[in-house]
Amino acid sequence: MKIYISGLYCGTNPQPGVGIARSLRLAYPDATIVGVEYSNRSSGIHWTDFDELWLQRPWEELNLAAYGEQIREVLDAGALWISGSDLESMWLAGVFPDGHKNLLTPPAGGLQKITKPAVPAHKGLPVRIPSFVSTDLSDWDLHAFCRQHDWRVWLKGPYYDAVRTRSWDVLVAVRSSLSHVWATERLFLQAHVSGYEESICLSAYRGEVNGMVRMRKRELTEEGKTWAGDVTEVPEEFAAPLRKIIRELNWTGGAELEMVRDAEGQLWLLEWNPRFPAWIHGATIAGRNLPALMVEAATGVAAQKAKAVCEEFTRVVLEVPVRSQFPLPALPEPYAGGVGHSMKHPSGLPALAERLHKMNAIESNGNGHNNGHSNGNGHGHADKSNAPVVPPSFVNDLAAYDFTEMETPSWLFLGSTAADLFKRAAKVANSLTTPATRVVNAYSMKTNPDERLVKLAYESGFLAEAISLLEVQKALSVGFKPEQVILNGPGKWWPEGMLPKSPLHAVFCDSIADLKRVVASMERGELQSKIVGVRLRTPNIASRFGIPVNTPEDFKKLVNAIALLPRDSTFGVHFHMASSNVGVRQWWHLYESMLRWCRSIEKLTGRDIECLDVGGGWFPDDWHGDADDQFATAVARARDFLPNVKQIVSEPGKAMAQPSMALAMRVLEIQEAEGETEEAVVDGSIAELPMHFFQPHRILRQDARTGAWEPLRRGKTHLLGRLCMEHDIVASNVELPEGVQAGDVLVFCDAGAYDRSMSYVFGRG
Amino acid sequence: MSLAEDKFFEVNETDFIDASAAIEKWQHFPASFISHHGQPCCDVGREWILSMDFSLLNAGNPLTGPRWLRNKYKWGPSAWPLHWCEAAEQKTLDCGALAALSQEIFVARGVRSFPVQLIHQYSEHAASQWCKAWNSDDANPLHWIKEDLIYHEGCAVVVRDNEIKVWDATATWWINAKQFGGYGGVLAIRVIDSQSAAPGALQWGAHRIVPNQWQKLARARADFA
Repeated sequence: MKIYISGLYCGTNPQPGVGIARSLRLAYPDATIVGVEYSNRSSGIHWTDFDELWLQRPWEELNLAAYGEQIREVLDAGALWISGSDLESMWLAGVFPDGHKNLLTPPAGGLQKITKPAVPAHKGLPVRIPSFVSTDLSDWDLHAFCRQHDWRVWLKGPYYDAVRTRSWDVLVAVRSSLSHVWATERLFLQAHVSGYEESICLSAYRGEVNGMVRMRKRELTEEGKTWAGDVTEVPEEFAAPLRKIIRELNWTGGAELEMVRDAEGQLWLLEWNPRFPAWIHGATIAGRNLPALMVEAATGVAAQKAKAVCEEFTRVVLEVPVRSQFPLPALPEPYAGGVGHSMKHPSGLPALAERLHKMNAIESNGNGHNNGHSNGNGHGHADKSNAPVVPPSFVNDLAAYDFTEMETPSWLFLGSTAADLFKRAAKVANSLTTPATRVVNAYSMKTNPDERLVKLAYESGFLAEAISLLEVQKALSVGFKPEQVILNGPGKWWPEGMLPKSPLHAVFCDSIADLKRVVASMERGELQSKIVGVRLRTPNIASRFGIPVNTPEDFKKLVNAIALLPRDSTFGVHFHMASSNVGVRQWWHLYESMLRWCRSIEKLTGRDIECLDVGGGWFPDDWHGDADDQFATAVARARDFLPNVKQIVSEPGKAMAQPSMALAMRVLEIQEAEGETEEAVVDGSIAELPMHFFQPHRILRQDARTGAWEPLRRGKTHLLGRLCMEHDIVASNVELPEGVQAGDVLVFCDAGAYDRSMSYVFGRG
Repeated sequence: MSLAEDKFFEVNETDFIDASAAIEKWQHFPASFISHHGQPCCDVGREWILSMDFSLLNAGNPLTGPRWLRNKYKWGPSAWPLHWCEAAEQKTLDCGALAALSQEIFVARGVRSFPVQLIHQYSEHAASQWCKAWNSDDANPLHWIKEDLIYHEGCAVVVRDNEIKVWDATATWWINAKQFGGYGGVLAIRVIDSQSAAPGALQWGAHRIVPNQWQKLARARADFA
């Protein structure tokens, strides 16, 4: 018996070839085992269980047609072939569309049903698929997915590689890197699931399962790879539907279903790998030699019975002699300033992926989007649109501007959009107000102090929230009365001498020292405020603001300090954390946790909390979308925890300002390469869009012929800002429509919040 | 000295371990609990711990183990009785204190939870090390050590119906219900249910656990053996 086994890479993310060989050697001591590898850098070629080696050139050099024929000859001669590489299996499925009795790899039809992340074949198994979206979506929608999942997301390559992307700038950088490595824009984002990792591994021949095991990872490497595990029987409620699926797929070969079990015991399927896992010999140690069972089924030659040694296995690092015929290759020279290391894919798997793409051999199906709104069971739909939706009011407001003579870059106030937003916010607050508890909005002046927005806030019944006395004066100048102003933040007394003489609505102390200063100032009659309270520092999310409660000592100091506050003023608590940064679900958890801290403070100080001021940093879509029910629940929860609360102040922040302004800029120059627009220079820059690193902007371009405004789709063009700064790239991966030329106007929407207020003068002489 | 001479790698064979004597030793040993002075000092400590736990849950599942306790506290001797105000301010806590706090935390999260007492097997060498670390001697033997066996505490949480998981608050892991004995293995368990008038049996993996009594754990066999 002769068995060819590929996938001998044995680095920190190993392939299964060596494990398969070890298991087969136990079952068939006299078999000739041939190791197949595509790089002499893969250390598995030196493993002693291989009687022979068939070392190929790396995939980028291989003549695939000739190689395919050579494999056919090997198989026709009676040898078996077990692949240890996903991509090799996919390629072989194309070379042998009707299969081959000695080829122990899955058929093309089966492979199409296991493409990640949707893994269509999973239906019937007691698993769920974590929410995912394709990076075909617009940046706007990808950002929304990240917020929705608290930035606990993985950006994954089509076959290998997965990187946690905890912020927008990281996501953009990793996307660029993975797209380059795998020569595709078709990556996907998937929600992280916390829990313990476990796998089901099986072997099958022509649709019949030969054996299966369950393995729980008991030790992990830093890359999340198995280092130790326990191997047990697969529960029948999983095994029965899996056998049925394997039959339907007419599966041959090994397979590993990688899953996470969450705290409630729910299994989430991450991947279905079309091969044995690298830990496969662990199953053999436990007494279930899956490769041998498969070979036995394929050949009818009885394998020696596996002896169960122990159902737990672990790995050790072993040094083995290098085969004399295959001396170690030289180590690539480190780049200047870099750290030397072996190549990640020595056999050239990315090159194979690219070649298979070109041959359309591995086009995946059913991998659209499954964005958490469904039951997470892989019922994704393939949405081919990759342009963001732009509200019609944006376009209507743009009609008020004449762009022909407009100097650019130029800020555009979207008047009706802004008015509608404030009107809606006022309506929501009114609808949540009850006789016992008034809900009111406050406009955070720092978000954008543009007088038109401040005036809209005033006219819409907002309070004004200021972080300096200059901001207080600005609010007053627009029409706010001091009793409509909330003073907040660590620098609220700056500059001196500008404090209004009449009472403010509320003052929130940012530190114990600040609290003592407020108390002293009130005692002297210098400061008057209807509400005096404290800002709490979020204990679970790093923040420099507010009074900390991180230790029992901190908490005790806070409790004692609150006792100093004048009894004749109303007591309130404020907290703030940008939901766009921490994610929507985590923000609501923070809200709930803050209510608990407030209840504790109320209980320990004996002071009723009558005012709760909640800051949000809300991304507009999250606030104006379908959050009304959540707001109603939030108000009810506040009343549950704090029965004495009479006023809830909501600071929607950038939810108001961000959509209210756009930035018009002109194309200065278009740079083409190989017929495609790769880069275009614009007269805008990160000086006008400093939030570019934190959020995408929807970009509109007016069709010169029809006058219609159309959003830019995802593409391959980078829009370079006018500044001579390396990082001045105002948009990545957009598609400039045909016909765009120098002088054309692009409108960057969603720039009315911190883009506007934090924009700076740079490069203007 | 060679390693072999020192029997450095020797681990006791649990097949021959009889936990009966250990159970007898800890038969009347009560599970730890945190006391309350009935004063604001303890209110502050209790409120801080429970509020901090909810914050640090970070939108996670309530059945998630409160690992943060071990970030705050080193493992070491605690003075008993231990009150909330003292527990909050300590730098070190023993396994009983950590277990008791964890159990209070789970209950505050709305999870049904019980104190759990355990007898683990380690080695005489490990026991000797612990005795030194806790400044114990022949005159003051450690109450939680009996030769190579130790008394330990954790807490159980009900995940569904009567099915439990057992949280080791000191090691910050869920104890494997399938036990093979050996170093670190659990030989016996007692789940304390003082809340129910007629406590029903609980299920921990393959083990049927009758509350409020010590029971030895049957040593598991490998599935494919």
